[in-house]
Amino acid sequence: MISYVLRRLGGALLLTVLVTLITFLLLSTSFDSVAASRLGNSATPEAVTAMKEQLGFDRPVLVQYFDWLSHVVRGDLGVSLFTSEPVDQAVSSRLSVTLSVITAALLCTAVASVALGVLAAWRGGVIDRVAQGASLVGFLIPSLLIAIVLVYVLAIKTSILPATGYTPLADDPGQWLKSITIPVIALSLHGMASLTSQIRGRMIDELRKDYVRTLRTRGIRTRSIVLRHALRNAAGPALTVLSMEFIAMFGGALIIEKVFALPGFGSYAFDSSLQGDIPVIMGVTLFAVLLVVGVNLIVDLLNGWLNPKARIH
Amino acid sequence: MPTLPRSRRLRRYAPVAALTSCVLLTTAACGGAADKPAAGTDKLALAVLGAPNSFEVTQLSDGQPAYIWNSVYDTLLYTDNKGQLQPNAAESWGYTDGGRTLTLKLRTGMKFSNGHGVNAAGVKASLDYVRTTPGSQQNSLDAIDAIEAPDDTTVVLKLKHPDASLLPSLSMGAGAIADPETMKDPSAALNPIGSGPYILDKAATVNGSSYLLKKRDDYWNAAAYPFETVEVKVMGDRTAAVNALQDGQLNAGTVESTQVDQVKGAGFDVTVVPATSVGTLVLADRDGSVVKPLSDVRVRQAINMAFDRQKMVSQFLRGVGRPTAQIVNPKSAEYDPALDTAYPFDPAAAKKLLADAGYADGFSVTMPSLYYTKPFEPTIGQALKDIGIEVTWEPVPAQNNSIALTSGKYGMYFTADGLNAVPNDAKKYFSPQGIRNPFHTQNPEISGLLLEASGEQDPAKATDAFKKINTYGTQNAWYAPVFYIGSSWVTKKGITYLGDGSSTLTTIRAFGTAS
Repeated sequence: MISYVLRRLGGALLLTVLVTLITFLLLSTSFDSVAASRLGNSATPEAVTAMKEQLGFDRPVLVQYFDWLSHVVRGDLGVSLFTSEPVDQAVSSRLSVTLSVITAALLCTAVASVALGVLAAWRGGVIDRVAQGASLVGFLIPSLLIAIVLVYVLAIKTSILPATGYTPLADDPGQWLKSITIPVIALSLHGMASLTSQIRGRMIDELRKDYVRTLRTRGIRTRSIVLRHALRNAAGPALTVLSMEFIAMFGGALIIEKVFALPGFGSYAFDSSLQGDIPVIMGVTLFAVLLVVGVNLIVDLLNGWLNPKARIH
Repeated sequence: MPTLPRSRRLRRYAPVAALTSCVLLTTAACGGAADKPAAGTDKLALAVLGAPNSFEVTQLSDGQPAYIWNSVYDTLLYTDNKGQLQPNAAESWGYTDGGRTLTLKLRTGMKFSNGHGVNAAGVKASLDYVRTTPGSQQNSLDAIDAIEAPDDTTVVLKLKHPDASLLPSLSMGAGAIADPETMKDPSAALNPIGSGPYILDKAATVNGSSYLLKKRDDYWNAAAYPFETVEVKVMGDRTAAVNALQDGQLNAGTVESTQVDQVKGAGFDVTVVPATSVGTLVLADRDGSVVKPLSDVRVRQAINMAFDRQKMVSQFLRGVGRPTAQIVNPKSAEYDPALDTAYPFDPAAAKKLLADAGYADGFSVTMPSLYYTKPFEPTIGQALKDIGIEVTWEPVPAQNNSIALTSGKYGMYFTADGLNAVPNDAKKYFSPQGIRNPFHTQNPEISGLLLEASGEQDPAKATDAFKKINTYGTQNAWYAPVFYIGSSWVTKKGITYLGDGSSTLTTIRAFGTAS
C-alpha cells in the first residue's frame, strides 16, 4: 500500500509539472499583452519592452518556468502582477470559500443519496418511486433555476437567508451556514440525482446476489445485511461518482460564485485569466491540479479500504 | 407487541435520520432573519462591476474602481456633480505664461491617515512618482516638464506645452495624492495611505470582492461625506446585485434596463443617466496603411450612414441610451445636437458614397472580436455588409483586448468608452499619442485646432475651440459613434443619487442622503 501511495504521489507530481508547464507555455504568448495591461494608457512599444524586461518576460520561456517552479518548491508562488497580493494567500483565502461550499454540498449529496438510494432499494414501493422521481427532477430541473427560486423565496420575500455574499466560518458559524445554504442546495441537486440512481441500482444488484441469500439463511438481520455488507460493496462505484461530482462542482463553482457573489476560487481564476495575471493563473492551476489529484488518490484509497479486491499491491 | 429497545428503534430510523440531518444542514439557517446592513443613512452599501487592481498611486484606474480609491485619496481638484471643476486639496489654481505654468495653492491642515502632514513637497513627490512611473495615469501628466514646491502650500507645474486635459485629470487618478514616505512601499498596493475622507478597513476587506471604508473624524471636508461607513461590493453579475439590493444587503447600485421595473416595484428610487459611455466604431486607419479605403473620407462617411442607430438603441440598450454621431458628453457645453443627425440611416446613399470613392463593389475588413463586443457584432457586421463591406471578426483573447486596439493591427474596431471631460476625450481621439488614435493620424487642421483649444485660457473661447474639434471629428468621420450608453442608478429610501451625467467621475460624492 505504501509503495502504491508513493507511486501515485510520484505520478501526481509529474502530472502537476506537466500541466503547469503546458499552462505556462500557453501563457507565454500573452507576455506583450500582460506588459501592456500593466502599463495601461502609457503602453508605448518601448515601454512594453521595458516592462517585459522588468517582469522577466524577456528571458527564455523554459528558464522562466523553471524559475517559477524553483520558487514554488520553496513555498513562494509570487505576487499578483496587478494587485501585488501574494498568490498563496490570495488563492488559499478564495479556495477556503469554494471548498467550504463544495464540501458541504458533497456531504449533503452523500448523506441524502445514500439514505434515499438505500431506502429505495431496500424498501421499494412508494419510497422507491419517490427516490426515482426525485432523481428525475434533479436531472431535469437546472440547479440554478432552483437556486433563483430559493433566493426569491428565502432571501427576497422572507429574508430568512442572505441572497449573496459569504461569511467566513471563523467569523460567525451561524452566518456562515446561512451564507452557504442556497449555493449548497444549488450545487447538490444534480449530484444527488445521479448518486441516488447509482446507489439504488447498485444496492438492488447487491441485494440479489448469492451472498445476501446466504447471510439471510444464517439469520443475519436485514438491516445488518443492507448496511454492513451490501452498502459496503455498493459504495465503491458511488465514491467514484462522488469524486467526479467534486471535480464537476469545482469546475462549476464559477457560476455559483458569480450568481451568489461569493469571493471564491472560480471567480478569482476567471477574473485573473481575463487580465492575464500570470502568477495568479499559475498558482490557481497548481492548486486545482493538486486538489483534483488529491481527491482521486483519496477515493482510490477509500475504495481499497472498502473493497479489498480493489487494492493494488 | 414487544417493544424494541430504544437503541434499536433509533437504528431503524437511521436512514431517515441521515436524510433529515442533511436537510437540517441546509435549512438550519432558516431559524431567523438574516442580518442586514443598517437601513439608515449612516452607511452606503454600493455594488460596482470592477475592483481596483492596486491602490498604488501610479496604478489607479479611473472608472468604477475609483469609488474605492477616490474615498481613500484626496485629489488635487474635484469635478462636481454638474461637471464643474471645484477646489479640493488645492483650494485655488491658476495658469500663467500662456498656459505653460499651473500654480496650485494647497489648503492647510490636511493629514494623511498615518498622521503625516500634507505639504507641497509631498504633493510634488507624489505627482513626480506618477508621471515618471509607467502606469494608467502616466499619460495624463505627460505635458508636465517639471514640478516645483517653492513653499509648503504652493505647487508649480511647468508644462512643455499647454494641455487643457490637465486640470480635469487632476480631479481623477492622476491628481491623487499619496504619502511620499509610504507610496513606494509594496504594502501600498493593498493598504493605501491617503489624505481622503475614508480609511480602508483592511480587516473587513476581501481584496477584489468587498471593501469597507470608515470615515475619518479629522477630515477637512467631512460635511461633504454623509456616510459613516461605505461598503463597496464587487458584483460582476447584475442579477446578484439586484438580489442583494432587494435583500437589503445593498442600498445603491446600477441595474440593467430590464430590471428597472422589478426594483421600482420593490420600492427603490431609479435615476436614469442617459449617457455615461459611448459605443463607437473607431475608424482609426485614416491614412489607409492597413485598410486602404479608410483613407477616403467618403468611405468613412458611408460607414456612418450604415447604422440604424435608433433601432440599435432600442434593441441593445432597451431605451437606456440614445443615438449619437459624436463622442462628447451630451451634458457638456461642447455637445452639438445638430451633429447627431449628421448621418441619417441611408444604405443607398452610403453605397453611392462608396461608389464615388471607387469602391462600388465594397471591400473587406478584419475587426477584432473582443469579449465585450460580441453581442453587437452580428448587427454591426450585417449593417456594414448591407453597404458592401464584408467584416471578418478575428477573436482576440480577453487579456489581449487592450493591446489589440492600440497595436495598429486593426484599421477599424468597435469599442465602448466612458465619457470624460471633453479636453480629455479630445486628447484620447485626436492627439497623435491618443489611445483612440493608434495610427497616430495628424494633419495641420486638427493640430491647429488642438493647439488653439489647449492654449486658450478663456473658458468660453476654449469651449468654442473644443466644439470645433468635435465638429471636425464627426464631419471628417474619424469615427462612427453609434449610441450613448446610459446607466440606471437604483437607491434605497434615504439615499439619493445626485448625478445627472454632467460628471461621469465615479466618486461617492454622487450619493447623498434624502432629507
